[in-house]
Amino acid sequence: MNYINSKSKRITALFLLFLTAGCMLLTISACNTRDSAGKSPIESVNDLADAKVGVQLGTVGDTYVSDQYPNADIEQFNKGADAIQALKQGKVDCVVIDKFPAQAFVSANKDLSILDQEFTNEEYAICVAKENTDLLNDINAALNQLNSNGTIEKIIDNYIGDDTKGSYQYKTPDGTDKSKGTLVMATNAAFEPYEYMDGGKITGIDADIALAISDILGMELEIEDMEFDSIISAVQSGKADFGMAGLTVTEDRLLSINFSDSYTTSTQVIVVRNGNTDDSSFISIEKIKNNFIKDNRWQYIAKGLGTTLVISFFSVIIGVVLGVIFAIIRATCDKTGKLKLLNLLIRIFVTIIRGTPVMIQLLIIYYVIFASSNIDKVPVAIIAFGLNSSAYMTEIVRSGIMSIDNGQFEAGRSLGFSYIQTMRYFILPQAFKNVLPAVGNELIVLIKETSISGYIGIMDMTRAGDYIRSRTYDAFLPLIAVALIYLAIVMILSTLVGKLERRLNKDGK
Amino acid sequence: MENDIMISIRNLHKSFKDTDVLKGIDIDIKRGEVIAIIGPSGCGKSTFLRCINHLEEPTGGEILIDGININDKKTDINKQRQKMMMVFQNFNLFPHMSILENLTIAPIKLKNKTKTEAEEKARELLARVGLTEKINAYPGQLSGGQKQRVAICRALAMEPEAILFDEPTSALDPEMVGEVLDVMKNLAGSGITMICVTHEMGFAREVASRVIFIDEGRIAECGTPAEIFGNPKNRRLKDFLSKVL
Repeated sequence: MNYINSKSKRITALFLLFLTAGCMLLTISACNTRDSAGKSPIESVNDLADAKVGVQLGTVGDTYVSDQYPNADIEQFNKGADAIQALKQGKVDCVVIDKFPAQAFVSANKDLSILDQEFTNEEYAICVAKENTDLLNDINAALNQLNSNGTIEKIIDNYIGDDTKGSYQYKTPDGTDKSKGTLVMATNAAFEPYEYMDGGKITGIDADIALAISDILGMELEIEDMEFDSIISAVQSGKADFGMAGLTVTEDRLLSINFSDSYTTSTQVIVVRNGNTDDSSFISIEKIKNNFIKDNRWQYIAKGLGTTLVISFFSVIIGVVLGVIFAIIRATCDKTGKLKLLNLLIRIFVTIIRGTPVMIQLLIIYYVIFASSNIDKVPVAIIAFGLNSSAYMTEIVRSGIMSIDNGQFEAGRSLGFSYIQTMRYFILPQAFKNVLPAVGNELIVLIKETSISGYIGIMDMTRAGDYIRSRTYDAFLPLIAVALIYLAIVMILSTLVGKLERRLNKDGK
Repeated sequence: MENDIMISIRNLHKSFKDTDVLKGIDIDIKRGEVIAIIGPSGCGKSTFLRCINHLEEPTGGEILIDGININDKKTDINKQRQKMMMVFQNFNLFPHMSILENLTIAPIKLKNKTKTEAEEKARELLARVGLTEKINAYPGQLSGGQKQRVAICRALAMEPEAILFDEPTSALDPEMVGEVLDVMKNLAGSGITMICVTHEMGFAREVASRVIFIDEGRIAECGTPAEIFGNPKNRRLKDFLSKVL
């Protein structure tokens, strides 16, 4: 009986899973019919004036188009690759972006072209915190040396230019002394050829030049990947020693940060759809291979899944433990009028946590509270999500405690149990049974909320999907794959919570 | 040992906000006595009982149990409470635990009994009240009368010196009152101190060694059942008895 029951349930669950996946597919294909938007209505720089322009948030392209074409409809994307994807799907008419990344995008997408006209020359430089003039001087000296011995030119040629591509791979010279510590570089690795993920590590022109600089300074190089618009604040707050991500020197940026001498120049170009068609099917063997098999890209998702699970698991523990403690204190105050001060503090904590977005809390904890310490990011995320969850858990568990009849307290106390023992043996077990569905719900929310870990540069599962997307320009497969894994985790969790619920119900008839 | 005073109450006051419920109660209760507390509803008899094991904190006066002031902050109230168990109007069994667990958890956790000892004692008590077959049931599966009998066993499992009954039959259907009163009558002969707030005048008359009539927060009359029921002096007591008898 039981066996058949659980089996049929499992089948229902699987059926639902596939139904959902099917719905996603249908919805997306329905939206996608307008994708064959065809050729962009942009033929020259002049057409930008009232066009829909895609840019990467905080880049020179962004500020330039905003300043020069106030009537243009500007859409800001977190990554260049996202802007290119929007262009392919007809959501914007063109994308204004740095020349070499544009070339990399175009070579990977045969439905895109670059307009001949270029505008604005810009100088790429390395940014360093205002007060860190020693490092700035060291970097300038190193750049000078690398320029004069031709290393920079060779590195750039290695990534750009049909004839010279792959001609020279910079390597740390044998016997280099690396004993003077570690340099942390902040970048956004979705900007080929300057910095991008390849075979699991960040590579590109900037990455190689940074390595050459750290070799000269006798230091180890550590590259931190983050959102482009987080780079400058990361350097300012000391999370990274310097930022290098195709950063252009601008007046605005100079207000908050110092720049080194320029190491290369670039121009902004306009990428448009050329009217050709690209492979537009959603699922093909080719696409699956490209998204998951090639360069072992599935490993990003596997590693990301691990990170997501670690963050979820430990933040759930923090959330539950703190939530129960806080709830007991709150309920004790409600019932007996004791612990007033603690209760007030917890109420303030709960109000703040529940009143602000978890993403802001994550950013504040990383960039403000742990600003000066070079702490590992995963524990930061665990603390952030754990604290966030504890606030919700406090109120859930408190409502459970308050729902138990006062006679239960009196029965426990009159037998001679202390307040804490009464809580532990009689009140909490009953309260938990009552609030289990709400707790399960909170755990589900928490697991999915960890998907914003990428904002402080953690390679969680969502971020892993993003990486693949930025390399393959395919939105469908990586996003669906990630979505299905979240769905599976949540389904497993709800099943476990449901089982526990049934078991507790059997007992306490 | 005949005059061994267990509970000594001096000038006990209790008020909730602006309402004075107890306005000065003095009484000594000897070991082994069976006290019935009667009185009109709202007269403070339940509050009085709850003060004795400190479920209510008195606002004035003192309560000495074996000479120890239980309202003293330095007194370990949990230790004192173990001497006098409480039986509630609404049973207050633990619904998430089986009958056996309800009976054994306190002896195991508080009196360092082994599981075997505690379970043996629980079986013996359940047999005494005729509920052996319910040992593995949960409170939700029992009738009101059965629940109250289990609650009495739970109190007895702690081997207390006294049991405080707070209107133990008031929440029961009429046909179940008898089975609970029978258990209490049997108990009365065993030498344990019993203090019962009750509306069962028959029980008070038959079983109690002393009856206390509380009216408007004071002991208005106190005496043997024969004195109280046969020859009431207080006008309010006469009034009360004429209504309930």
